Amino acid sequence: MMDANPTPHNNHAAANSNAGVAIAQSTPAVETHGLNYYFGQGDLRKQVLFDLNLTFPRGQIAIITGPSGSGKTTFLSLIGALRTIHDGSLKVMGRELVGMNNAQLVEVRRGIGFIFQAHNLFESLTAVQNVEMAVELLGGFGSKRAQAIAMLEQLGLGHRVTYKPNSLSGGQKQRVAIARALVNQPQLILADEPTAALDKESGRDVVTLMQTLAKEQSCTILMVTHDNRILDVADRIINLVDGRLESDTSMRDFVTAHDPKTLDPRMFML
Amino acid sequence: MSPLRRTPLAWLNLTHDRRRLATSLGGVAFAVLLMFMFNGFKNALYDSQVQLLQLLNADIIITNTQKYNMFVPEAFARRRLYQARAFAGITAAYPLYINNANWKNPETKATRPVRVLAFNPQDPVLLLPDIQAQLDKLREPNTVLIDLKSRPELGSITPGVVTELGERQVRVAGNYSLGTDFASGNGNLVMSDQNYLRFFSNLDPELESRNLGMVDIGLVEVEEGADPDRLARTLSQRLPKDVKVLTKDAFVQQELSYWQDNTNIGFVFTLLTGMAFIVGIILVYQILYTDVADHWAEYATLKAMGYKNIFLLGVVLQEAVILSVLGFIPGFCISVLLYNATANATGLLMQMTVSRALSTLLATFIMCLFSGAIAVRKVQATDPAEVFG
Ligand SMILES: Nc1ncnc2c1ncn2[C@@H]1O[C@H](COP(=O)(O)OP(=O)(O)OP(=O)(O)O)[C@@H](O)[C@H]1O
Ligand SMILES: [Mg+2]
Repeated sequence: MMDANPTPHNNHAAANSNAGVAIAQSTPAVETHGLNYYFGQGDLRKQVLFDLNLTFPRGQIAIITGPSGSGKTTFLSLIGALRTIHDGSLKVMGRELVGMNNAQLVEVRRGIGFIFQAHNLFESLTAVQNVEMAVELLGGFGSKRAQAIAMLEQLGLGHRVTYKPNSLSGGQKQRVAIARALVNQPQLILADEPTAALDKESGRDVVTLMQTLAKEQSCTILMVTHDNRILDVADRIINLVDGRLESDTSMRDFVTAHDPKTLDPRMFML
Repeated sequence: MSPLRRTPLAWLNLTHDRRRLATSLGGVAFAVLLMFMFNGFKNALYDSQVQLLQLLNADIIITNTQKYNMFVPEAFARRRLYQARAFAGITAAYPLYINNANWKNPETKATRPVRVLAFNPQDPVLLLPDIQAQLDKLREPNTVLIDLKSRPELGSITPGVVTELGERQVRVAGNYSLGTDFASGNGNLVMSDQNYLRFFSNLDPELESRNLGMVDIGLVEVEEGADPDRLARTLSQRLPKDVKVLTKDAFVQQELSYWQDNTNIGFVFTLLTGMAFIVGIILVYQILYTDVADHWAEYATLKAMGYKNIFLLGVVLQEAVILSVLGFIPGFCISVLLYNATANATGLLMQMTVSRALSTLLATFIMCLFSGAIAVRKVQATDPAEVFG
């Protein structure tokens, strides 16, 4: 396996991989080296990702764009430990995913918040129960109700906790799904077109909420979107074309990105 | 109150859509009902064959050696009973006479074969309370007691009706309740041994006349505390070989075995029950599969969140168990009603016993778990990566 190469791009991550918690804070959230991915076997084998070398520091909000079929979703699903990988190196929170078995991948997933285009909520469960399903994953049976309600309140759904999905609006449903993804305070959030099913207004609201909560919990967000209206929340925009990195635009230096004044140049850029 | 347990996902998924739940439970209940009915018919046919035998007031039964089922008319000499009585540990031995005769329907005048059971009213042969209460009526000449569960083809059987039995006038003196079997024709008539002589001792030459010296079934009573098995063996060894001596249980079992081994009743109904079982599996599989298919994205999301396959398998199997229990209850209740209705309509002995109910519950359980096990493969195959994109 070709892991354990020191990172040329990133000084922080050069620290050795068995570092303690304090040092782990400086490991990038996601780090790829020479990442290739293929679908199919034998003659039908088709490469969809080519030699991706990317580092996402903690706390960064990165938007991945690109034409349809360029491999954005595939890339996200690899980072989400949803597929086994054989080629290159992919580290999530310092853990090498290449060569992991299924049980180890499941363990990694528990530290990640997933938000999909569809809300994928159980119709049979109330909003709060849907969120509790995530809390239960890590144990918290005693505090799950309180945790779930607190999360829903932060998303402005305090008055809807006992509603079932079919009595919620599209934006409200997506916010419940976001509450479910955030309730365990994951260090990494992966979102694939989270606003695609929403109208302009609620799409905007949902993304702003994600941004605020992410900053509060200082977690990393990787978001695939075609929605130009929400690009301004990003610290960085990555463009994939045919599985290759086409461009990697940093909005500003990440360290100063928390400065509210940085909003203006972003708007200008769009 | 904050719930300290896991969200009951299986239960909520199943009960969320009330109409679908009702349909699902209807399906399971229907499969349960089919199993109960087919099993009920099979057991009824077997049970009916031995219901009379089980009522005989005896510990040991003596018959002609050739009488291997109730259809065989061979009788044995009454002195074998006297000989049996002489053995230590035997307290009594009573004769039961059996003969077939034609009954004339008092309304249509059509004749139907019936079976006549005759004994000395002083002998405790058939301890049915209704019969015991009417022994005096049996002592009157040319009277019979008729089974209320006889076939309706016999016509009116209310006490006082006068018609013909074997071309001799007979009066219905009373009724009792027993039920028919394959050897009983259209019903069982009970009369005294004296009337038996009146009806059957002077038959036409082509029919075999009967007398009290030739016994069809000998009922032997043993002393309290004596071992019927051992005594039956002793009698069997010491009595002449023209009679067969069996404990009552063995005698009942001999009759049952005859029907089990020599007819297709068991096979046919076991096959039907098996088909009901398979229909149930398919139905429940459909229900569970639809649930998984309809919630495919949600289940895949759970997997992406970090739930393991085993958790989802648990959800599907819980749904299977819930379906089996909830579906069994209405299936059982309707079956009990249908058992009664069938018993009333056909005279068949439809008996719902605890062990039969439990074994059908077990079958329902296995049926649902089996479906669950097949449907589970669909969940296992769910690829969480597919929810993206
Ligand atoms: N399960 C699969 N099996 C085989 N090929 C696949 C599979 N999933 C995706 N692909 C192929 O891989 C390539 C990248 O697909 P991917 O879904 O990652 O694109 P995308 O950038 O997310 O596109 P879109 O913007 O339309 O969602 C496409 O050519 C697609 O046809
Ligand atoms: Mg996609």
